This record gives sequence, structure tokens and C-alpha cells, in this order.
Amino acid sequence: MFVENPLNASELIFPTLEVCHILGFTVTLGTIALVDFRVLGLGMRRQATADLARDLAPWTLAGLVLVLLSGPLLFSSDPDMYYLNRSFQFKMVCLLLAIVFNYTIHKRVVRSGTTSASSKLVACLSLALWAGVIGGGIFIAFV
Amino acid sequence: MSLLSFAQWLQNTGFATALRGSWYVYPVVLSLHLVFIASFGGMIFVGNMRLLGLAFRSYSISDVVNQLQWPKRIGFLLVLTCGALLASSKAEEYYYNVFFWTKMTLLALIAVHGLIFRRSVYSNTAAIDKAPTIPALAKLAAGLSLLLWIGVAIAGRGIGYIEPPIEKLHALLQVPRHAPASNPR
Repeated sequence: MFVENPLNASELIFPTLEVCHILGFTVTLGTIALVDFRVLGLGMRRQATADLARDLAPWTLAGLVLVLLSGPLLFSSDPDMYYLNRSFQFKMVCLLLAIVFNYTIHKRVVRSGTTSASSKLVACLSLALWAGVIGGGIFIAFV
Repeated sequence: MSLLSFAQWLQNTGFATALRGSWYVYPVVLSLHLVFIASFGGMIFVGNMRLLGLAFRSYSISDVVNQLQWPKRIGFLLVLTCGALLASSKAEEYYYNVFFWTKMTLLALIAVHGLIFRRSVYSNTAAIDKAPTIPALAKLAAGLSLLLWIGVAIAGRGIGYIEPPIEKLHALLQVPRHAPASNPR
């Protein structure tokens, strides 16, 4: 049985979800970036990296929940297009890697509070993965 | 030179044409715009949430606001650079775009907000930290800032939804390019 997606009932729903998606990833990436910048020595240097990471974690998760609620809804508006879109596939790979990385290696390194060269590399890799997610999202409309 | 003819000139410069013409340069700049927004927006979010007393309560307001001041400025400059590149490549189209002008108005209001609250809030964090509770004025400044920036995000997303029929407008108005034109609005 074919059921019309209620998302397509109003032309305002999609852009509204897009704005939620943007605000959500701003909070997610913004809070992660703040920790990564701290590891790189670029701001919030009076705070310990471990404290910063612990205090920001709930906000990172809150943003991630908003993103992971709005994202699949946006996807549902035109699943075939997204599924076959090269940039969307790239985004999903980056997203999976970014989330797994964030809650494993990244978490362990930032909470150890070291600012060694290897932890700086972890911070850069984290920023690169999340930038890949955003870039992949933008390119969906251009490939 | 009217604003419209300036926009037409800007959109037709070799630089803007090249930016628009390449299939990947425009989306790369747009991606950078969003990446910088996300990292710099997070600082605005965190700073304002601290002023509202909703996050980072173990740190003083001075610590949060002062330490984020320079990263925020650098972030804003990066966002602004990408934004200016994007806007220049579609300057004439954006001249007719109500969301673009809404966004510019909101950004101007954010500048006004900064001027209004600088002395009493953002440069006054030591006194705010000494107060027994966070003053209502500081919370008002933070709340307004968050609302204004959310407005910028909404208007910014809206820009892409409007595609003014430039070719039709040209034919209709018979506007010679680079020449001053009467305001079609």
C-alpha cells in the first residue's frame, strides 16, 4: 500500500526540519570543536580539557539527538534520491565514523587531558570527520 | 551608482562568475561557511547558555565570556569571508531575495545588540560574577542574542528557497547591465 509521506503535506515542514538540523549540528559540532580547539591550545585554556569535555558532553548529545531526529525525517521526503546520492553515502560513512570516533578514541583522549602531539592529531581528525559530514550534506544538492 | 547596479556589477565580475561557474567551488565555499558556523555558533551557544545559568556553571562567567571572545571573532571573520564570497557570486539575485535582506537586517541588529550590552554585560563580567544571582539584564542579553542568531540561521536557510527570475526581470525592465536603474520595487 502506498502512503503519502505527511512530510510532503506542507511546504514549510521540510525547511523547518532543515533549520532544526542546522541548529542541532551547530550545537553538536560546536561543543565538540570547543574541546578540540582546547586540545590544540586555541581557547578556553584556563579550563582543563577533561573538565571541558565532561561538561559539554550532555550538550553534544542533545544536539546529536536533534540531528538524528530531523535527519531521517528529511531523508524520508525523498529516500530513493538520498539513497543513491554519492554525497549522501559519503556523509553517512563520515557520520558513522565521526560518532564512533567521538565516543571511543576521542572520548578517551580528551578525558585523559593530555595535550601531546597524538592527542592533537585526534582533535584534528575529529574536526576533519565532522567537517566531512557537513560538506557531504551540502554536496547532496550539487552532485 | 544604485545598490542594484552595484549588485549587477559584482555578480558579473570575473571572480564572481568563476565562483558560480565551477560545479564544486561554490559548494566547497558553502560547506566551509557551514563548518565555520557550526564551530563558531557553538561558542555563541555556550557563552549565552552560561549567561543564562544553564551550562558551564562550574566556571565563572568571566572565564567563559573572556576566553571565547577572540575565538569568536576569528570564527565570525571566517564565516563572514565565506558568506561574502557566496553573496558576491549571486549578488543581483540576492538583491531581490527577501530572506537575504532579513538576514542582513538581523546581522545589523546583532551589531546593535553588541553595542547596547557591551558595557553592561560583556565587558562587565567580573561584576556579574560577584552578584549573588545572574542579573536579569545579562539573561536578557543572552536570550536576545540566541534568538537573533536563530533568526539568522532561519533566514539564511530561507535564501536558497527563493530564485528570482532574473532573465525575465531583465527582459521586463530592459535593464542594461552596469547601468543605473530605477528601483523596481
